[in-house]
Amino acid sequence: MKLPASIQVIERGWLSANNIVLHAPEGATLVDSGYGAHAPLTLALLEKALKGKPLARLINTHCHSDHMGGNAAIQGKYGCRTSVPAGEAPLIDRWDEQALILSIADQRAERFSYDDTFGDGDSLKMGELDWRVIAAPGHDTHAVTFHSPESRVLISGDALWENGFGAVFPQLFGRDTALQETRGTLDCISRLEVAIVIPGHGRPFTGVDAALERAFKRLDSYEEDITRLARHCVKVAFSFALLEKRSMPLADVPAYVGRVPMLADINRRYLGMTAAVFAGWLAADLERAGAVQRRDGMLVATGT
Amino acid sequence: MSESAKLPLEDIASPCNNICRMNPETQLCEGCLRTIDEIAAWSGLSAREKRAVLAQLPARKPKP
Repeated sequence: MKLPASIQVIERGWLSANNIVLHAPEGATLVDSGYGAHAPLTLALLEKALKGKPLARLINTHCHSDHMGGNAAIQGKYGCRTSVPAGEAPLIDRWDEQALILSIADQRAERFSYDDTFGDGDSLKMGELDWRVIAAPGHDTHAVTFHSPESRVLISGDALWENGFGAVFPQLFGRDTALQETRGTLDCISRLEVAIVIPGHGRPFTGVDAALERAFKRLDSYEEDITRLARHCVKVAFSFALLEKRSMPLADVPAYVGRVPMLADINRRYLGMTAAVFAGWLAADLERAGAVQRRDGMLVATGT
Repeated sequence: MSESAKLPLEDIASPCNNICRMNPETQLCEGCLRTIDEIAAWSGLSAREKRAVLAQLPARKPKP
């Protein structure tokens, strides 16, 4: 099973989401722009992919820093039309650092503006294919996925990965329906004809049924015990921050996890550890997972 | 499905380690040591092509 030749996936990592270039003679569409700090590389990759052809449109699956962080730089270079999910528009208008998960998680993105919005049920021409916009609340309340019935490709953003889905932060920040919404999103994907998923992170994959099964299992475990979700969310948020910084003195970790609101709030409300215990647990758990190493008094991101 | 038809989706992990910054002198990413062409093309490479890229990386490590 192969992707249509007009779809080029630029597989990135965790700090930057994948960049998906949908080629068409009249101008390409880019889905998601990566993290702001990576914008120079993203621009170089995009230039390589476009081979001198115009970029007509930039579209986001949702507006988290790893998906929209390169928007401003790409607009600056290409002056392309920019479209975001309708639910994200007010957050972008007022640049809501909390709802966009920026300063509250020690993340950064350059402010940008958009030209128009799209929502559930809309049809979008991206590249040579027609895509249906499907609401995908959960990880981000306003996120969408894009489905091409003709090619049976799903651009899933962070709603479905080969192994799991993006951390459901909203459930812990006042939206107590977010896990339920995640279930609805997975149910909705399971009803689509999908041969290949292009996720926001990781390689494109077939075997959508097996991926859905893993996702539902994970969701069940969060619903059984909400502190599992809380632990997962702080690990994701902290390792993301460490990927950007690359390293942090071990002695600074307790103050850091006590200062960054997303980490401190989740700990206070769901985990109840002291800052020192919280910091020690995070470091040990991420070390066990191979995401960090201790070296010369520093906590160092391994990058994976 | 033949083996060759499966190859593009076989699991060869990307060497990206999230540094994602080009070195202007070497024209290699400072993190994964790939060229722009290799990063842009990665997702569409066959498993054999991916292995060939990976095999070149150790020799590109900056000399201490």
